[in-house]
Amino acid sequence: MKSTSKKVPLIERVLDALAFAATNLAGAMIVVLVMSFGWLVFGRYVLNDTPTWVEQMAMLLIVGITFLAAAVGIYERTHLSVEMITLVISKKAALFLDVIINLMLATFGFALAWYTNDLMSFTQFQKIPLLGISESYRYLPVVISGGLICIFALYRAYQGLTGLFNPASINQVSGE
Amino acid sequence: MGLAILLGFFALLTVIGAPVAFALGMAALAAFFYEGLPLMIGFQRIVSGVSTFSLLAIPFFIFAGELMLHGGIAARLIRLASASVGWMRGGLGQVNVFSSMLFGGISGSAVADTSALGSLLIPVMKEKGYDDDYAVNVTVTSSIAGIMIPPSHNMILYVVAAGGGMSVASLFVAGIVPGILMCLLLAFAARTIAIRKNFPTEPFAGLKAIFISFIASIPGLITAIIVVGGALSGVFTVTESGAIGAIYAIVITAVVYRTLSLKDFWVAVVRSVRTTGLVMVLVGCASAFGYMLALYEVPKLLAHALTSLSDNPIVILLLMNLILLVLGMIMDMAALILICTPIFLPVAVGLGMDPIQFGIMLMMNLGLGLCTPPVGGCLFVGCAIGNVPIEKAVKSIWPFYLAILAALMLVTFVPAISLTLPNWINP
Amino acid sequence: EWKGWNIHNPGYPVTTALESFIADVDAKTDGRVAGRVYNGAVLGSQADSIQMLQIGAIQFAEFNLGPIGTIVPEANVVSLPFIFKSVDHMHRVMDGPVGDELSAAMEKHGIKSLAWYDSGARSFYNTEKPIETPADLDGMKFRVMNNELYVGMVEALGGNATPMAYSEIYQSLKTGVVDGAENNWPSYESSNHFEVAGYYSLTEHLILPECVCVSVSAWNQLAAGDQKIVKDAARASAVLQRKLWAERDKSSREKVLASGVAFNEISNKAPFQNAMKVVYEKAFQDNPTLKPLVQKIQSVD
Ligand code: NA
Ligand code: NA
Repeated sequence: MKSTSKKVPLIERVLDALAFAATNLAGAMIVVLVMSFGWLVFGRYVLNDTPTWVEQMAMLLIVGITFLAAAVGIYERTHLSVEMITLVISKKAALFLDVIINLMLATFGFALAWYTNDLMSFTQFQKIPLLGISESYRYLPVVISGGLICIFALYRAYQGLTGLFNPASINQVSGE
Repeated sequence: MGLAILLGFFALLTVIGAPVAFALGMAALAAFFYEGLPLMIGFQRIVSGVSTFSLLAIPFFIFAGELMLHGGIAARLIRLASASVGWMRGGLGQVNVFSSMLFGGISGSAVADTSALGSLLIPVMKEKGYDDDYAVNVTVTSSIAGIMIPPSHNMILYVVAAGGGMSVASLFVAGIVPGILMCLLLAFAARTIAIRKNFPTEPFAGLKAIFISFIASIPGLITAIIVVGGALSGVFTVTESGAIGAIYAIVITAVVYRTLSLKDFWVAVVRSVRTTGLVMVLVGCASAFGYMLALYEVPKLLAHALTSLSDNPIVILLLMNLILLVLGMIMDMAALILICTPIFLPVAVGLGMDPIQFGIMLMMNLGLGLCTPPVGGCLFVGCAIGNVPIEKAVKSIWPFYLAILAALMLVTFVPAISLTLPNWINP
Repeated sequence: EWKGWNIHNPGYPVTTALESFIADVDAKTDGRVAGRVYNGAVLGSQADSIQMLQIGAIQFAEFNLGPIGTIVPEANVVSLPFIFKSVDHMHRVMDGPVGDELSAAMEKHGIKSLAWYDSGARSFYNTEKPIETPADLDGMKFRVMNNELYVGMVEALGGNATPMAYSEIYQSLKTGVVDGAENNWPSYESSNHFEVAGYYSLTEHLILPECVCVSVSAWNQLAAGDQKIVKDAARASAVLQRKLWAERDKSSREKVLASGVAFNEISNKAPFQNAMKVVYEKAFQDNPTLKPLVQKIQSVD
């Protein structure tokens, strides 16, 4: 993303690695998801013994895929947003708004991790039917995602702040 | 007051450029907080909105589409379109529309359609002397076929938002005729402009070329048959048919065409993950937002307001279309489907409209929103690919808007266009 | 203002009774306790709304006891196939000490159960043939709700148990993804499943009670007098609901029979009941608290 800088700072290498790990983990999940449905159809027609765990597991996997990918989307700035005001205001003002938004996203990520962690303890002794594991596993990837969103958004906010105080680097920060 | 916080906070966050999904989520949580509701439940709504069985088809359709794209299916479909309609006046414009129609049977999203076909066709069109804004406009508007022609993940969102009970397979089938009708009207608009601007034509490639390119695209087109046919015939449910479509896509591109390397495969996986995450987190946050709307009984209030304005069904339908068009201009399609369906569907059903027809109308209406500024995913992607400023593209896009509006009015007021095919197949 | 969750649509027996319950409470407490019922599950699925009630985000609800079993293990006793001899037997059991015992168990999880509603008896229906003996289920694909006990039941009868979302059943029956499902007469009718699965066999294998519940936190905020008003109103609404249900059960049954559904009673249910031994044993293994409850239920006449 930064062709001009010679050396990538450590923090960025760590965050890159986190985003890479989250993406590939979610990728593995989507492959398992597709294959498990293949197995479901095979079981129903060929074995005449429908695997009863597929549906429940699929609903766990989709949560994992969604929230891991959503966190990476914050880092990579791929979430859809409306660019109405940002196009007409000055670059500096746009950067200021960007910092505000990322601070809010970081708060949201923190709250997401915090409250889904509460949900995890709340549902700890509740079993997912037909899967036999605790309901709290549904929320585990969301807790992780909340943490990632918080970290990623804080880093983007920090980048924005550096840009605000150091106009020379503005162009580097504003786009992905 | 709570409702004002919900809507106001959402509007504010959106305007300053926060990601739409998170703007919905944060506004919902602000309202939860204001009402003294436990925030834990707000987050439960978000997770539970994602963890919904009927939505599983969405990642499957996205994945199958990515595999087909990276496995070279899009290029084969364009070859077929080129051989079939390239000889007509403004040939590449016709090719563009026709490709979208074919590709719509594989891809479930209009933005994917724009980026897949646009990156292949827009450069060629520019090179052959077509105006760049024309190339972008025809690509962008015809990409709505991706939503109208099955499979379509937006249709699944609609069925979920409508509270289930509707057959996804019937809705899929219902989209075919309106999708083709819209493409024909777009082709007509493309041709009219091409004649006035004296754009070139392609030489007729001959029946043999049509035949060969058709044979080469068959394995790709079979995806549509698996997904829609599998669900219609009852071999699979719609969700399963999405997964089987994806498995088929792996087999066909990796084993039969041998165009999908392991690396391509993983690229398709990662891109699917990305798109799935963006769509589904929006769905989750919209479900928390929808929870508050339900709590404030907004659907009831708005429906009441709408029916008190007029008791003429034609006026109400036009009014609904107008509201949706305006909302579609400024908001994202997926979020609008989830929020507007519970509000408008009961009104439409009250007027005697079939929920399937309403769904088709909603898809086309919001599809147009994807092609309009200030918020239009397809328009953005198309302009980026064509390297055309949005203002320039929009200046000359109106004939295409008119074509889609004409199709929209036909779909709104002629139920048979949407309902004949599903009624015939599913007696 | 209390918020109430309900899965059913306006006009359904549960909806009418629940709305009369809260109106009654409002009137008798002079508006100290007022509320509104949100119908059609607009506030979320039953599993989600159980959590909402436990946390106190909603104050009252009408739940089927089946899904309560994932949170309150004791409640799973009603999900054992053929545990009740008849709907009347279920009423006698639930209105007696066993019902109180289940209430106490639910209260520990934040759910205060006030009165028991009715959801009739569930029987198998399918697209192929009348079911007379367990052998008739052999190899057939039956949709079941998400619960090990229901899966175990169909498997013990020799069928292929297929868990599936409720909204997918109609299309799946129509196209043959599954061959059958199971439900009570009113659901069989209102879901239109009778249009596509024309054989209804009166196995009455599950008789699931439902409950009018209040969140424990809302309950504890009530003065003793108001608690009594709320409880009495819930009991009165249960009388109304059971009456409306019986009427609805009858009219639904008449409607589907008039439409040409082939219906048969089971002359001998013993083979079905005997096949459930494995299901019961597995349930006792997983959840020892069920055994004494089963004995108590079976000792009620
Ligand atoms: Na499509
Ligand atoms: Na196109």
